[in-house]
Amino acid sequence: MSNPPGTPRVRRFLLALFCLGGIHYTAPWPGLQAVLNSFLVLGLAPGFNSPLAGMAWAAAGGWVLEGTLRLYPHLGGTAFGNMLACLLAFSLLLRWPPHTLKPYWGRQAALVVIHTLLVQFSVSFAAGSHAWGTGWLWSLVLIPAWATLALRLHPPLHRK
Amino acid sequence: MAALLLGHLGWMVLGRGASDRWQHLLNVMAAPPRAVSARWERWRAYRGQRVASLGEAQVELATLRAQVAALLTTREAEAPRLAEAEEAIRLLGLKKLLPLEFKAARVIVNVRKAPFGGMIIDQGADAGLSPDQGVIAPEGVVGRLWDVGSSQSSLLPLDAYNASTGVMLARSRATGVLQGLGPGKAAIRYIGNQEVVQVGEPVFTSGLDRVFPRGLLVGYVSAVLPHDVELHVEVVLAAPLDRLGLVLILPAHPRLEIQPPAGPVDATVAGKEGK
Repeated sequence: MSNPPGTPRVRRFLLALFCLGGIHYTAPWPGLQAVLNSFLVLGLAPGFNSPLAGMAWAAAGGWVLEGTLRLYPHLGGTAFGNMLACLLAFSLLLRWPPHTLKPYWGRQAALVVIHTLLVQFSVSFAAGSHAWGTGWLWSLVLIPAWATLALRLHPPLHRK
Repeated sequence: MAALLLGHLGWMVLGRGASDRWQHLLNVMAAPPRAVSARWERWRAYRGQRVASLGEAQVELATLRAQVAALLTTREAEAPRLAEAEEAIRLLGLKKLLPLEFKAARVIVNVRKAPFGGMIIDQGADAGLSPDQGVIAPEGVVGRLWDVGSSQSSLLPLDAYNASTGVMLARSRATGVLQGLGPGKAAIRYIGNQEVVQVGEPVFTSGLDRVFPRGLLVGYVSAVLPHDVELHVEVVLAAPLDRLGLVLILPAHPRLEIQPPAGPVDATVAGKEGK
């Protein structure tokens, strides 16, 4: 690789920052917002060297998403679910680094489902009953796009 | 990492449902700094109030000092006028007691203790004065006019060596002639040694010299010594000759007897009661 060692990390950082901004500015389109959140939590955050950094990015995404939704009486559930999903994705990435695209899509699809469930349970615990929405469907449908981007353009550092 | 997770979990647990536990926790956690802040604010307010009070007190103190200084200056300036006013009031009282036509005069020079000294008053021939008119003060007889100028007159006090005044003793009613012996003192001559004279006995004018009417207070007997065929009776003058400011000038050749108007009896005319 011709890039200096720090370049992928910086690029990942900038991309995560872009995702945070995207989550904020795509509030009128919850589907797209959910896709960006999934991309950040399941695609970018597990790629950081430190799981703490990844969890912090995932939590930040959850807080920004809930803050823009302004639907829940008490915030924090999405951030908590994001952190748990990110931790799970980080563990999977560490144990079974992906090599091909389609198994990675499948893994990401399973993670999207788990992520959705964790977030819904966390939000139910923190803020009570709420609408599930269709954002998780958008995330599932667009897995070929954001998961491919996560794998090809920004391969996790653990794979190197 | 665990702290991040547990922190979020705690946040969710505390904020669950409609309870105000999180608010309560925030209130509990904010209580110490709030108490410290309240004490700090109270201290600042107290200090500010003390500083303001001190400033106001200092300003008030400066104002009061200035006022006191101004009052003292005014009092010093008014003191002579006040003393003269009091003296004038006493003179007015005396004037009411004695049914005579008085003229008031101000003593402008008093060199009585100097050799051949006397007193100068600010009235003269232009006020109708003439020599040998009697001069009295509220405390007693002062003397007589000695030399009358156009606008000023010199006064011969009772204690002058060349002053002679007809007097009588209050108890024995013996009459004599008062001659000056020096500052504040005089002696009565021509009192027979068979007379009984007591120390402290008042001495009044007899009216026989036609300068003073009868009964004006002259002084008090201070010593009685037998001297050949007569008594040597020393008298302390009643009028404070050293600090006279205003005097009354009797008319020339007054009547021998004067009748005071009805009212309180003054020591000046008390001699008439003893008669």
